[in-house]
Amino acid sequence: MSTTITNNIRRLRFEHGEMTQEALAKTCGVTRQTIIALEAGRYAPSLELAFRISRAFGVGVEDVFQWEEQASRTRA
Amino acid sequence: MLLRRWGIVGLLLLAGLVLWLMLAGPDTLMGLDMGSGGMTLLVAIGWGLLYLLSQWPRGELDRAMSPSEWRAWLGVGFSAIALMYFFTKLALFQGDVAFTDPHVRAVGRNLVILLIAWAVISQVLRSRSKDEVQKDERDREIAIRAGGWGRGATVVAIIALALLLGFSPAERLVLAGHFMIANLLIFALVWGCLIEYAATAFMFWRDRR
Repeated sequence: MSTTITNNIRRLRFEHGEMTQEALAKTCGVTRQTIIALEAGRYAPSLELAFRISRAFGVGVEDVFQWEEQASRTRA
Repeated sequence: MLLRRWGIVGLLLLAGLVLWLMLAGPDTLMGLDMGSGGMTLLVAIGWGLLYLLSQWPRGELDRAMSPSEWRAWLGVGFSAIALMYFFTKLALFQGDVAFTDPHVRAVGRNLVILLIAWAVISQVLRSRSKDEVQKDERDREIAIRAGGWGRGATVVAIIALALLLGFSPAERLVLAGHFMIANLLIFALVWGCLIEYAATAFMFWRDRR
């Protein structure tokens, strides 16, 4: 099941010295499988986790996550 | 590589086989009497397998699944074994029996052994991933959704039992004494657990695909 929230986690990881999924998971206090699900667009994170991930990369939440308003409206 | 990848699955299957032999295996196996000596041997094999499992290096398959997913698959396996075992022994609970009956006591004892084995294997798997986060928000979200499936399955089973008992002719219910009804209620509970674990495992698997 895909979500209407897309993200740049994979790109940001590579821009941050090829940070591993495991390292990001540890920093954010989640399992590696949750990072995998996020990158694949199969899971929409809570607001808290979204902030944790963006803080891990030192950027704003909207630099990491985008809400596809059009797709969301079509589904609704 | 293939051996390493499926090694842990093989060990789990072997541990399951040993457990099954302990619970419901034949009295003799390949000419070996499965009396107390055979049982001791089986327990030793089971213990050795668990030790190997705890020492086995983490492979790809091991890494692919989160601790919660491992626990869910383990739950599917053990609750399915418990349900099958319970189902095969259901005939023992027919009519006027009580818990003092030696055959009935043996079923109860074996189910307790199963529960202990489940707890031990869960602990072994937990120790393999002790450095990892054990549960996060996605796990909790999946658990809530799977809980709904489990509750639904329990409700369906209870309603089915109520209809069965309420609408069956009296002569057919002679076999369903108080002890049988009590055990059928436990059966419904385990069924609900199985569906909950299966839903959890399925949702994790679907996210990994």
